[in-house]
Amino acid sequence: MDLSRRRFLQAAALSAAAAGATAACGGGSGSSGSKDSKNLTLWYWSGGLSDKVVADAKKHFSDISLKTSVVGGDFKTKLLTGLRAAQSAPDITGIKGEDIASFLPNANRFIDLNSVGADKLAPQYLSWKLKQATTQDGKLIGFPIDIGPCATYYREDLFAQAGLPTDPAKVSAELSTWDAYFKAGVELHKAIPKTFLINNIGSVFSMIVGQGTQRFIDEDNKFIGDQDHIRTAWTTAVKPYTLGIDAKINDNTWNAAISGGTLGTEIGAAWHALDISNAAPGTKGKWRVASLPGGPSNLGGSFLAIPATSGNPEEAFEIISWILSPENQARGFTDAALFPTAPAAYELPALTGGDAFFGGQKTIEIFGPAAERIPAAYEAPADAAVSAPYYSELTSIEAKGKDPDEAWKDAVSQAMQIAQRQGVK
Amino acid sequence: MSSSPVAGPAPTGPTSGSDTVTTGQPAPDRSRRPERRGPRIRPVPAGARRGPRPRAARYWPQYLAISPYYLIFSVFMLFPVIFTVYLAFQRWDGVGDMQFVGFQQFRFLWDDPVFWLSVRNTLVIWVLSTVPMLCLALVLAVLVNSTKRLTAFYRVALFIPSITSLVAIAIFFGAIFSNNFGLINAILRALHLSAVPWMSNEWTIKLVIAALMTWQWTGYNAIIYLAGLQAIPSELHEAARMDGAGPVRIFFSITIPLLRPIILFTVVISTVTGLQSFTEPQVLFGSEAATNPNSGGPGQAGLTTLLYFYHQAFDNNDFGYGAAIVWAFFLLILLIVVINWRLVQRKERRP
Repeated sequence: MDLSRRRFLQAAALSAAAAGATAACGGGSGSSGSKDSKNLTLWYWSGGLSDKVVADAKKHFSDISLKTSVVGGDFKTKLLTGLRAAQSAPDITGIKGEDIASFLPNANRFIDLNSVGADKLAPQYLSWKLKQATTQDGKLIGFPIDIGPCATYYREDLFAQAGLPTDPAKVSAELSTWDAYFKAGVELHKAIPKTFLINNIGSVFSMIVGQGTQRFIDEDNKFIGDQDHIRTAWTTAVKPYTLGIDAKINDNTWNAAISGGTLGTEIGAAWHALDISNAAPGTKGKWRVASLPGGPSNLGGSFLAIPATSGNPEEAFEIISWILSPENQARGFTDAALFPTAPAAYELPALTGGDAFFGGQKTIEIFGPAAERIPAAYEAPADAAVSAPYYSELTSIEAKGKDPDEAWKDAVSQAMQIAQRQGVK
Repeated sequence: MSSSPVAGPAPTGPTSGSDTVTTGQPAPDRSRRPERRGPRIRPVPAGARRGPRPRAARYWPQYLAISPYYLIFSVFMLFPVIFTVYLAFQRWDGVGDMQFVGFQQFRFLWDDPVFWLSVRNTLVIWVLSTVPMLCLALVLAVLVNSTKRLTAFYRVALFIPSITSLVAIAIFFGAIFSNNFGLINAILRALHLSAVPWMSNEWTIKLVIAALMTWQWTGYNAIIYLAGLQAIPSELHEAARMDGAGPVRIFFSITIPLLRPIILFTVVISTVTGLQSFTEPQVLFGSEAATNPNSGGPGQAGLTTLLYFYHQAFDNNDFGYGAAIVWAFFLLILLIVVINWRLVQRKERRP
């Protein structure tokens, strides 16, 4: 309880101190002259960039002193605070994929990367990913570090035991719709009673929402979370629960479930492979990767941005484009499981090799095509906030056995309230 | 309201967390009163040079000595508290321009079922933790008080949980109560009993959080009771024993009545701190998740009000609404403290 108070006061102090800084420099921006153009700082979080590439960048740009800080804890909050004071803001910063939309309304706090040469490099990078960091009036505030193309990870040995197809190409073809995937799950659970198809229904919901071109708020800033595309995603997500193939894991037992064979499949982004291999090193060679049912989807993937107070935006962008060149992205993939945003990297040996954890499967054959076919959806600044009640209500179904229709009504009404609070029409 | 409830928050001063409560007037007012007489008998201007200098100048070393606390207090606590009042009437995403919205945030709050759910959760967790915690602490204190050997060991042992890292405890409890792979469920299965889904049932989630808080703070309260027990003259116990009272009778007729002021103190402290549970559910239920972080676990059963505040302010960047939540919650804590105070106060007048 002592800590809780401290955290609470810290949070209060932080927001207030930050506001004080805003007031002190009359609106925040402006006093960028104090920044020095030869000493640049780079903020990212542990695992956000390849440490080796960053170390090489320091050597490569020898005329500049690049200081990097690996910022721990709540990165977004620290960045928000940093942005309000020119002195404390970094010259280059990482922004997490789930936070990028919430920074778009404050695009004036960042350099428009198109003004420092990003527009010339853009064709080399995935357009749908660049769109996530583009404001409605065309400013680009972030350059993509990585993406999270999604796929189905499955246990080949358990699929064989249940008499299901085992070859990745065959699994991708036969389990291409959500209904076919759930049907296979029922067979799997029948053959091996302790094995379930999915981790929780929230993960299915987020995949299906990601497969569409519309999310919870449209371009005109109107709430559309009560419309058919979300309702369909909801109904489909609830199916595995009713079929009894949902492991309902919403706590810290995922690691044990993945290593103990409780989960026969796992739907997730490319970077999720690392979570699986870390949690279940004993299952090495038993996993395979197949295409996601219902089409490609994306989960996560971060950006590098240049705050408006940066001392030397041109040089900062030079550094960014060097760190995120296709060759260095390929190294980032080997080093930190960062899936490249430049399709040219998909041809490089670092990605085309087989992965021993997946029995030597060349996983790029699944992820590569998926990455290029991910639909470009408009993600509003308040999207994450508005989507929260859907996930909470899905856990209510799993935890309390709440009636799915009632849960849907509650989720929509709560989402509408949040939308109203966030200034969505 | 008479003057007594206003004095309610005063004893909470020592615990820094309740500063929101102590920022009210009563405490400084009272301390100023006796000193006010000094300036009043200020001598006539003729003797100004030789007469006593103004208080601040006369006692400057003392003021200097205590100033660090007040400086830090005003920068990191008083200012934020006042600033949140201002913030509660604005709409602000943390970076952009603020927009004055009047009482709109409070209207949203009134209509927000999740806010009321979080208040309910907080109250249930508070009752589930505070009642067993204080009862257990009292019993433990009486037991330790009656031991003759190893007393120092017992005291240290009682105190250790309260200085242990809360995050570490939460991770540990999460592992013990884990649904499928936890220690408790392993024991239940070994005894051929059915496992309990601790971390997914709406009530057991609260029970786990309450158990965690009880574990951490029972010893701390026991130490406070122990100090109170040692202040009770042993003649009273001896006299009671001479009159033929057994240990149970002595406990209820001598110990408890004489400990009443101490019990009041612990009740107030536990109210203020127990209602502010935050880290426990935050660590237990995936605060790092990319989608829907800090939601308080399955069915939002562990969503306490402060966790909800944190979620709104720092996940959703809705700082105005976050400020409205904490102020509404502050009023609620104040109300409960006042009720507590009056209840115990009335009892005290009776004998």
